[in-house]
Amino acid sequence: MNDTFERYSRQMRVPGIGKAGQERILNSRVTLCGVGALGTVLANALVRAGVGFIRVIDRDFVEPSNLQRQVLFDESDVTNNLPKSEAAVAKMRQINSSVKLEAVVADINRTNIEDLCRDADLILDGTDNFEVRYTINDVAVKLNKPWIYGGAVGTEGMTMTIIPGQTPCLRCVFEASPGPGEVGTCETAGVLGPAVGVIANLQAAEALKILAGKTEAINRELFMLNLWENTSKRVKIAPLAGRKGKCPCCALKQFDWLEGEQGTQTTSLCGRNAVQVTQRAGTKLDFAQLASQLKASGPVTANKFLLKFTITDAGEGYEFTVFPDGRAIIKGTDDCDRAKTLYAKYIGY
Amino acid sequence: MAIKVQIPTPMRDQSDGQAEVVVTGTTVQAALDDLVRQYPGLGTKLFDKGKIRPFVNVFVNEEDIRYLDEMDTKLDDGVTVALIPAVAGG
Repeated sequence: MNDTFERYSRQMRVPGIGKAGQERILNSRVTLCGVGALGTVLANALVRAGVGFIRVIDRDFVEPSNLQRQVLFDESDVTNNLPKSEAAVAKMRQINSSVKLEAVVADINRTNIEDLCRDADLILDGTDNFEVRYTINDVAVKLNKPWIYGGAVGTEGMTMTIIPGQTPCLRCVFEASPGPGEVGTCETAGVLGPAVGVIANLQAAEALKILAGKTEAINRELFMLNLWENTSKRVKIAPLAGRKGKCPCCALKQFDWLEGEQGTQTTSLCGRNAVQVTQRAGTKLDFAQLASQLKASGPVTANKFLLKFTITDAGEGYEFTVFPDGRAIIKGTDDCDRAKTLYAKYIGY
Repeated sequence: MAIKVQIPTPMRDQSDGQAEVVVTGTTVQAALDDLVRQYPGLGTKLFDKGKIRPFVNVFVNEEDIRYLDEMDTKLDDGVTVALIPAVAGG
């Protein structure tokens, strides 16, 4: 135990953490939703800080264009076609072998989020879209757990800390998210690695305050930064809490994202000319059978985590990445209906 | 009545790339109407059937107009109105 405290001695010297705070951090459990640009920075910070248990969830796999900013990944992860959660957890083990880690390769949605968050003391947002964030907000309010929103695109980002019952929730502040095409994506606006890094580290600092039991120190404003324009801004959101008893989520307890219809869902992926198609919980794909079904249509490769194939359909090229739970990422279109058609045509459901 | 309006990055293609535009007006509504007069392309970005679109949060200095007087919130000379949509990426 003395060695443990030596390892964290610099952190324990921070006023507000101390030995008692470090003990709380060591005994805490975190669910990290998404391990891309924000998520890898969060994972790195939390595993080094000695958080007791970290569940790392991501639906995606490592690609060359991730390496510019997603700090836990390297070229071998791309070569090996590794899912992000598995690749991140492998690095995190090397950083701190005393932390209990769980990699989950899955789309986070209403069918699984309660199970993934129920045992957590804190939920962290490392995602890249608002559909998941509103789902996280629903589950956090329903299960009464704190969560920390962060978002970044281009050279700017924002963060806010949500403690249900104490602060406004995401829906108190953002009644609606921008629709497709309303604002820039990572593809159209690009993204500066340090911008995401700063936002994620702000989230990580908030996480440590909460896990150390120092909620009185949290940021209660919406905080925004633009690293290229050298601007920062804080706005007061505390008076929005519960929006005078009318916030659908935290005041009226309507969990619209959690209670939506189950079944096949499609999501256009941020800046990737790709659509994700997900299947209801419990779906299990047989890769061997699928591979033999597809080999006449185009080249197929598979490992135990995913199956890839490329096809030409109506003169257009598409790349499918299929996961054991039936989820597919279809590259070559951002049209959800087209993706559903392609899914039905080549995989079937 | 000089009011500064901060334009969010994704809408600056409609404000000649400007991050901040000086407008006049004694209320938020009047200030944003003047903004749209100067940059008509911002009209459909900010308003839908005359109402501010729900994903655009409006702050006067550091205060959200939803706990002030919404679009009728009075503006003093020199204040900054910030238009802030949620940032989705990550």
